[in-house]
Amino acid sequence: MAQAETRHPAHPVPAPYTGRTAIDLDVVREIMSHFHYDDFEEAQELILSALQEVNEHFGWVSYEAAEIVAEALGTTVNRVYALLTFYADFRTEPRGVHHLLVCHGVSCYVLGSQALVQHIRDHYGIGDGETTADEQLSLQVVNGCLGVCDWSPVVKLDDSYSGHQTPESLTALINRAIAGKQAKEESNGAHSAD
Amino acid sequence: MHTAPTDQLPRLQSKDDFLAFQKQAQEQWDGLWNGDRTVVSVGIGSSSIAKGALDVLAACRNELGDSAIVRETSGNGAFWMEPWIEVKRPNEPPVLYGPLSTDDVPGVLAGARDDLTVGVRGDEPYKSARPLKEHPFFKDQHPILTRNAGLIDPNSIEEAIAQGAYQGYFKVLFEMTEDEAIQEVTTANVRGRGGGGFPAGIKWASGRKAKATPKFVICNSHEGEPNVYKDRQLHECDPHRILEGILIACIACGAERGYNYIGGEYPLAIARFRKAVEDAERIGLIGHNILGTGKNVAFRLRTGGGAYICGEASALMYSVMGVRGQPRTKPPRSVEEGVWKRPTVANNTETLACVPDIITRGGEWFASIGTEKSKGTKLMTVQGPMARCGVVEVDMGMTLRKLLFDIFGGMKEGYKFKGVQTGGVSSGPVTEKELDIPVDFDSLTPVGGMLGSGGWVIFDETTCVVDFARYLTEFSRYESCSKCVPCRLGNPALVEIVDRIRLGRGSEDDITLIKRTAKHVIELSLCGLGQVAPVPLEGMINVFEDEFRAHVVDHVCPTGHCPIAAREPALAAAD
Repeated sequence: MAQAETRHPAHPVPAPYTGRTAIDLDVVREIMSHFHYDDFEEAQELILSALQEVNEHFGWVSYEAAEIVAEALGTTVNRVYALLTFYADFRTEPRGVHHLLVCHGVSCYVLGSQALVQHIRDHYGIGDGETTADEQLSLQVVNGCLGVCDWSPVVKLDDSYSGHQTPESLTALINRAIAGKQAKEESNGAHSAD
Repeated sequence: MHTAPTDQLPRLQSKDDFLAFQKQAQEQWDGLWNGDRTVVSVGIGSSSIAKGALDVLAACRNELGDSAIVRETSGNGAFWMEPWIEVKRPNEPPVLYGPLSTDDVPGVLAGARDDLTVGVRGDEPYKSARPLKEHPFFKDQHPILTRNAGLIDPNSIEEAIAQGAYQGYFKVLFEMTEDEAIQEVTTANVRGRGGGGFPAGIKWASGRKAKATPKFVICNSHEGEPNVYKDRQLHECDPHRILEGILIACIACGAERGYNYIGGEYPLAIARFRKAVEDAERIGLIGHNILGTGKNVAFRLRTGGGAYICGEASALMYSVMGVRGQPRTKPPRSVEEGVWKRPTVANNTETLACVPDIITRGGEWFASIGTEKSKGTKLMTVQGPMARCGVVEVDMGMTLRKLLFDIFGGMKEGYKFKGVQTGGVSSGPVTEKELDIPVDFDSLTPVGGMLGSGGWVIFDETTCVVDFARYLTEFSRYESCSKCVPCRLGNPALVEIVDRIRLGRGSEDDITLIKRTAKHVIELSLCGLGQVAPVPLEGMINVFEDEFRAHVVDHVCPTGHCPIAAREPALAAAD
């Protein structure tokens, strides 16, 4: 039937990624239950899409999650890891509570994104793909483009974009985010029973 | 206009069903603009979302409730006016306002914020507002592929059809043979928009001739270049145009399945395109026995994982097949052995987006636009310290000077023009004296530039070319797939040499060494990425030789950008 021939991976709405998340394997299984295939070829075509959904949902893909993906699509975990370690979007380690993307597109470069990356390294001691020791902040340098070039240099902290950044404004931005989250957690803690 | 959810769309079984659906969509569209309710459209695209357009949309809904129609449309390429809204009051023309924040919304909707007016959509001025198409940014544009940008709701197949989507597909299904369709594309002489410049008609003809079955058509929507987002813009503003182009190619080449491969970094483009595919499938434009013709085309959307190399056709196909995207040697060419070892016709998104208009208006019409060897229009992305930023569509053959200084308004206040990096990361820079060269596929080659995929980055006097060249080489080093040795080892070597120069430890021999290493990488690399990776660096050396010499002979960085500048001059001289 037409339906079987023209199928795309169904897409559960991914919850926007907030904070540092342990991977709930039941959710991975739930995501994988949306992937259907007719033959081994189609199953292989779906590996990347599946990893993308898991990565988008949790901010990273753990070994256990990779095993579930491999099993659901009839392949091996080695194959899945080959993809996880090749494509830049995927992470095999959890992110920090706050995840900072620094655009390193040409336009942002011309207007000073290099200084921002250097500043993060000097100030927080982390480089591309690393997380601070207190797990508060992780950095990803986008070797591509965030696509908001008239705001260069642009960063994306968690879900919101900020443009025309300088090292000083970036520090303020990060500190505000970290303080805000902690204040929220404290007030939540005060009201909850545990 | 009401945008129906996918499952409420009718299933079209025949030619007449389609024509009736088209007519109904047209009537709905006319009704929307001639009704007695105010229509507020908000331009939503990835760049405007970053600037808070979704909040503006929510504020409009909040402010107006049911008293007006608040709809979503796409961005129009003019980043400088985002977030913008368009207000169409009964018996008045639509007026655009921007850039605005949520605080401005009540005032704009009450008609009290004329200071935010950008222009009127249409030909006639209205009150103090000039037509938008007379704005310098829009005046010299020629929107063909992007004519629906900022106009239709990209999530609505009815609105797309009301604006002429699937007419070319209809023509190929009912009114012309496959060979005639390929002939139109050949006459149009549309060349590959991804940077290669290979004529699409020839590709299609060899795809049609290929004997093995099944065959596939694949649309390359992966643009990983750090300064190009024309395909993102096309997907966000008119996904049905791309889908139609792919479907026409499938029918013309006798392919049984179409693919579109989109980079994973464009979630909005993927979402809108996915909705387009689901809607087209639902109404029966994809699947078995399309509109009763007995023709079958299946469709699959695949997403990438952020690897620049997957823009290379063979790497892209490996990525579709779920392995690492690493190119392979050719032959066999992909048109003989592509996805799953089947004949595969691979075209760039922008190339396929040209196809619907070529079919409906004829190859001759398309060939009348542009220059002798480069036909049609081209999407251009311009960034850097410019007065305006964004994506535009202009005729091939426009001069860079006109593009940069008229359309994009020249340099921002306080910045001085130094050069333009052309062809994304795969070509050299050009300077002031070459700005009058018309931009098409071939004319920039003699001066070391390239049209490529139409990305231009302007850099100013404060940018050090050595540092910039390092950045461009570093990009290729990072993105190298490490399959072949010259690219895997040659690019890090080049970065190291440039770093040495940046640190003030370079010598004149380093320039020769760069040229020799670059030659090896260019000559011996397997795929296009390696073959062009050192070109920007070589170009920078050729064009800005004095500045490089200042670094290696006098050990100073004229712009003060390199780490060399921080060292004691005496120490630098002693090296």
